[in-house]
Amino acid sequence: METIRNALDFSDFPRIDLIGAGLVLIFLLIFPLLPLSAFAMATMIQFLMFSIYGMGWNTIGGYGGQVDLGKAQYVGIGAYTTSVMLIRWDIPFWVSMPIGVCFAVGWSFIIGYPLFRLKGHYFAIATIATSLVLKDLFEAWNFVGAARGLEISPIKYRPPDFLRLIFKEDIYYYYVLLGLFIIGLFYINWFRKSRLGFQLRCIKDNENVAESLGINVRWAKVKTYAIATAFVSVVGSFHACYIKNIEPEDTMSLSISILIALMAMLGGAGSLWGPIIGAGILIPLKSYLKEWLGAKAGLVGIDLIIYAIIIMLVSAYEPRGIWGIVEKVRRRKRR
Amino acid sequence: MDILLSSIVAGLLIGMVLAIVALGLTIIFGVMDIVNFAHGEFLMIGMYTGLLTAQATGMDPLLTLPLAAAVGCLLGILCYVGFVKFLLRGPMIAQLLGTFGLMLFLRNLALLIFGSEDRALHHGILVGKSFDIGMGIIIPATKLAAAGLSVLAFWGVWLLMNRTKIGKALRATALNAQGARYMGIPIERMNALAWGIGGGTVSVAGALIVNFWSVNPFMGLLFTMIAFAIVALGGFGSVPGAFFAGLVVGMITEIPGFWDFFTYTFNLDWMADVPMTSFKYMWVYLAYFVIMVLRPRGLFGWKQ
Amino acid sequence: MALLEVKQVTKAFGGLRANDDITFSLETGELVGLIGPNGAGKTTLFNCISGLHPITSGEIIFSQEDITELKAHEIARRGLARTFQVYVASGDLTVEENVMVGCFMHTRSRSESKTRANRILQFMKLQELSEYLVSELPAAAQKRVTMATALGSEPKLLLLDEVAAGLNPSEIEEIMTSIKSVHIDMGVTVILIEHVMELVMKISDRVIVLDYGKKIADGNPAQVAKDPKVIKAYLGERYVKEYAEKLA
Repeated sequence: METIRNALDFSDFPRIDLIGAGLVLIFLLIFPLLPLSAFAMATMIQFLMFSIYGMGWNTIGGYGGQVDLGKAQYVGIGAYTTSVMLIRWDIPFWVSMPIGVCFAVGWSFIIGYPLFRLKGHYFAIATIATSLVLKDLFEAWNFVGAARGLEISPIKYRPPDFLRLIFKEDIYYYYVLLGLFIIGLFYINWFRKSRLGFQLRCIKDNENVAESLGINVRWAKVKTYAIATAFVSVVGSFHACYIKNIEPEDTMSLSISILIALMAMLGGAGSLWGPIIGAGILIPLKSYLKEWLGAKAGLVGIDLIIYAIIIMLVSAYEPRGIWGIVEKVRRRKRR
Repeated sequence: MDILLSSIVAGLLIGMVLAIVALGLTIIFGVMDIVNFAHGEFLMIGMYTGLLTAQATGMDPLLTLPLAAAVGCLLGILCYVGFVKFLLRGPMIAQLLGTFGLMLFLRNLALLIFGSEDRALHHGILVGKSFDIGMGIIIPATKLAAAGLSVLAFWGVWLLMNRTKIGKALRATALNAQGARYMGIPIERMNALAWGIGGGTVSVAGALIVNFWSVNPFMGLLFTMIAFAIVALGGFGSVPGAFFAGLVVGMITEIPGFWDFFTYTFNLDWMADVPMTSFKYMWVYLAYFVIMVLRPRGLFGWKQ
Repeated sequence: MALLEVKQVTKAFGGLRANDDITFSLETGELVGLIGPNGAGKTTLFNCISGLHPITSGEIIFSQEDITELKAHEIARRGLARTFQVYVASGDLTVEENVMVGCFMHTRSRSESKTRANRILQFMKLQELSEYLVSELPAAAQKRVTMATALGSEPKLLLLDEVAAGLNPSEIEEIMTSIKSVHIDMGVTVILIEHVMELVMKISDRVIVLDYGKKIADGNPAQVAKDPKVIKAYLGERYVKEYAEKLA
């Protein structure tokens, strides 16, 4: 079927890209077997998580050009659905995760339709507003543990538990996540070649032109927003099983929403590799900065200062991100 | 009945102060269409300025206002000239993320310098005193002063915008930057001025607020979001809009009080247990969303 | 039956009537020019017909269907395409991809869309440029790309908005040829807004003239060129008075 062929076919990339990607993939596959610290492993898992978040965000934010700064609410929906279902009714991850996706996507359709009446920064701020509303609701809702959040205690289960995704060693989590990562990559590869992908890129370019070519702009945006939501929700569910301790302040905060958007933008919003590159740079940077600088007494916050400066520099000088630079150079060479 | 009245009064008072917080944002937005995520951080810096000056010199906190204004103004101009100016060339996502970066930077700089504990004012002419105007309404003197000074500041800015040449230039730039340029108005300077006024007013708001609200490096975001809601309701770019919208939003934050009144009067005990106070600001965010979807122009704004 | 019927269409922006009680119709297979001084309301009329603006009063019938209340994308799907005067390219879309977007209206398949797009590119002689970003191209080529993009949706009626603006004489020749072949070889009914008189008069079967929002003339090019109302609209009353004998 053409859909599958589209998903698996990367041949429209120059060979050097494919070689690079191949090398990275091999590295990712063998990484856990290398003798590296637990800290490195945790960082890699973060990297994979944010890559998938970023890939999802990229559909609406990168290809579509609609800057969504409220994705954290869907992380929460995914994470809480999985946690609650596991704790209360012992429902395994592979069942609760799709259910979480259904809730998340459902919610995204409900708020998406009115949201996309707005454009530009008004839209962006509205996405923040909706995310904060949901976060506040969760903080007061006793069913999900309110501000204390929920905790999954591994003692109750017998790791390694593949059904419920409870493991003692990170390596299992890593490979499950890597699987999700690869599936996500194929999906986005299909997306950028699909009719919806083309429609979105046209919308980003000029909405009036898009309308005049028969595209129902609002509906296309809503659909894509739902796709992005699904990605985020899946990783949210994973997050619950991995961290085993979730609360609104760190699962649904604005910082998470911004981080997701930021990584995709830094790496190159609107390209397949962009979000991965962005996560690949910012996650290790953030982790190691925190390790080296944050812990030192009296220097609390300096890691975030450096982080902030990087954000500021990138925004001011190369808003198209790293991949944007690569493509610019390539085009110039071609002429 | 008492609860209702005191909620209304409290809402109006805090509303006037929130209005001045939003004023700076609406001016910046009106003049150059950029959303300033770091707006709340300027407020926070104003609060620290007021607090530390009062504590260090023993002056009354209310006298620190001019200093806070100056600091805020300078900081605003500095941020524009040193950074925001470069963001204007880029796409919107860069602007959003750029001012967000600025927010993170200022917030963590404050964290580094001041530490994370809450700090509050404990002395001053008005701190701790209040007026009892009967009917069970008690007005803290600090809030009253803040509201009063805020109204004064509004009036001052309104005069500036409508009765001075510079104000006219600012408004011209806001309406049509290109056209203003052709008329010989130095846009760069207008932009910097807008940031100066924006930073200055919100910093003054901070110095006022610190009289009754404790400060820590993290509180900026809440005020930024409140300011956004006010600006959206009042109309992006509208000074009087910011004032009236501020009052409305102030009332929204008093919803817990209204809720209590409502459940008490109509004997709806089962509803009374809802912890409405936790939802105080949620209503503000919700209001932003609803307003933008239903009436993006807000009450008085011209921009869409 | 007429392909397009515009019945007493008025579009008012507050007090200003950009289009005032305009009525005309288009038969399938015609090539009609829409001219008039700047500000006459030509692009507004296009916007009304293509559904970008809601109209204040009147009716628009396309292919015997009342499209007055329909949204722009619904109208486009019924076979009405248009080009835009100002092409804002934030674009990372190549020429080929641009045309493909139009083709996607009739197919979900990328390969099918690519095939159709390339056929159109060949027809418009844009084949060699297919890999370039639209923003990288010179103005003349960009105009041909906007035409090609509109053709992707396989329209019955094509609205061209000043596709010859800013082109030098040889480029104008080129685009004239393109328009003619689109009209004849592809069988598309065309209505074009133009300021380049030579182009309009040479290729149109019929010319409609707007002035201050009203329709002031509708006939074949020769008739319209001699119509005193048209001359007055373009040249002004004083000129007409001064040169009255010469024009008679």
